Amino acid sequence: MDKIEKIDERGVWEKIADQLRSRSMWMLHYCTGCGAVELPPSMTSRFDMERLGMGPMATPRQADLFLVTGYLSTKTLRRVIYTYEKMADPKYVIGFGSCTINGGIYYDSYSTINRLDQYLPVDLYIAGCMPRPEAILNAFTKLMDMIRKGEADGWKRYNENYEWYKQNQLRSLGEVVVYDEFHE
Amino acid sequence: MMNSMNDASVSQELQKVFEELKSMFGSCEAVHIDARQYKLIVPSDKTLGMLTYLKSIGYSHLSIITCVDWIDEKKFELVYILFNWSNGATFLVSTFIDRDRPVFYTVKDMWPTAEYYERDVHEFFGVEFEGNENCKKPLMLELWDDLPPLRKDFDPLQYSKEHFPDRTYEKDPIHEARIIRGDIEGDIEGGEIDG
Repeated sequence: MDKIEKIDERGVWEKIADQLRSRSMWMLHYCTGCGAVELPPSMTSRFDMERLGMGPMATPRQADLFLVTGYLSTKTLRRVIYTYEKMADPKYVIGFGSCTINGGIYYDSYSTINRLDQYLPVDLYIAGCMPRPEAILNAFTKLMDMIRKGEADGWKRYNENYEWYKQNQLRSLGEVVVYDEFHE
Repeated sequence: MMNSMNDASVSQELQKVFEELKSMFGSCEAVHIDARQYKLIVPSDKTLGMLTYLKSIGYSHLSIITCVDWIDEKKFELVYILFNWSNGATFLVSTFIDRDRPVFYTVKDMWPTAEYYERDVHEFFGVEFEGNENCKKPLMLELWDDLPPLRKDFDPLQYSKEHFPDRTYEKDPIHEARIIRGDIEGDIEGGEIDG
């Protein structure tokens, strides 16, 4: 498949904003699968993601980056979609590990999805099971580069193709409503 | 585990328990697993009585309730795992129920935690527990509309194919070979978004 040259549609102010955005990223601290074990070493002193200008954030409202770490069961995916929709634009999604790419070892599971990009716009994938913290930091620098160039436009795609994403979500999940019997 | 309890004294104690169980419940098959673990196979009408008795003599920690699907025998095997904190011994109380009519009784009045184990077993095997009114509430699988997924006649791959679209790969071996040989730089890619 030939690479199509993308036309940069950003205005001057947005280009400046993207430069600044890429230098101050807050990663939502939400762990969906076993990939979560790679986050503490990436965040703490050994690999230290703060030297890239990134920090962990506890709430989706104030986060820019959603790192989906590992397999997603249908129950988790409902919460992930909720969380993604709560995040403010611009927002970026990184799919982490082979489970988000093609289901990984859970390809035949009755409750885990196979492709994350059917349900949410993924800007970048990290392959591997598990990817090491080096790979995560590599992905972060690549994502920052993509933001500066205007290539990380998943949130725009989500708004433009909302019907398509919603249709996929409903097809696999039945209904994107979170029932929580413990907080009723 | 208690230091004062060695294997010999535990097995003596267990022998006593077996004798009492035999006198109370008649025939009760005990399968030896190791020095501190035995499996007791009891008829379903005597299970609750045996659980009550075992709880009263110290086997009071319900580790889990689980289920095994014996599809050829048309039976579900319910297993209650009881642990004794004073001598570190474990009993697996197992009973067989009819697979076509999987109904059993709740033990949530003896162990409140059992409510969640029973909901779990109901969700994944379809066993109903009489007396547990929350039994049919979804716990982990929300909006499930198929056979209970851990039954042997359920096909998870089929379900996954129907519900979760897969990625399709277009393989270009010549392109990959050129990357591996170092003629061109690039990633070995596949799986372009076809949506």
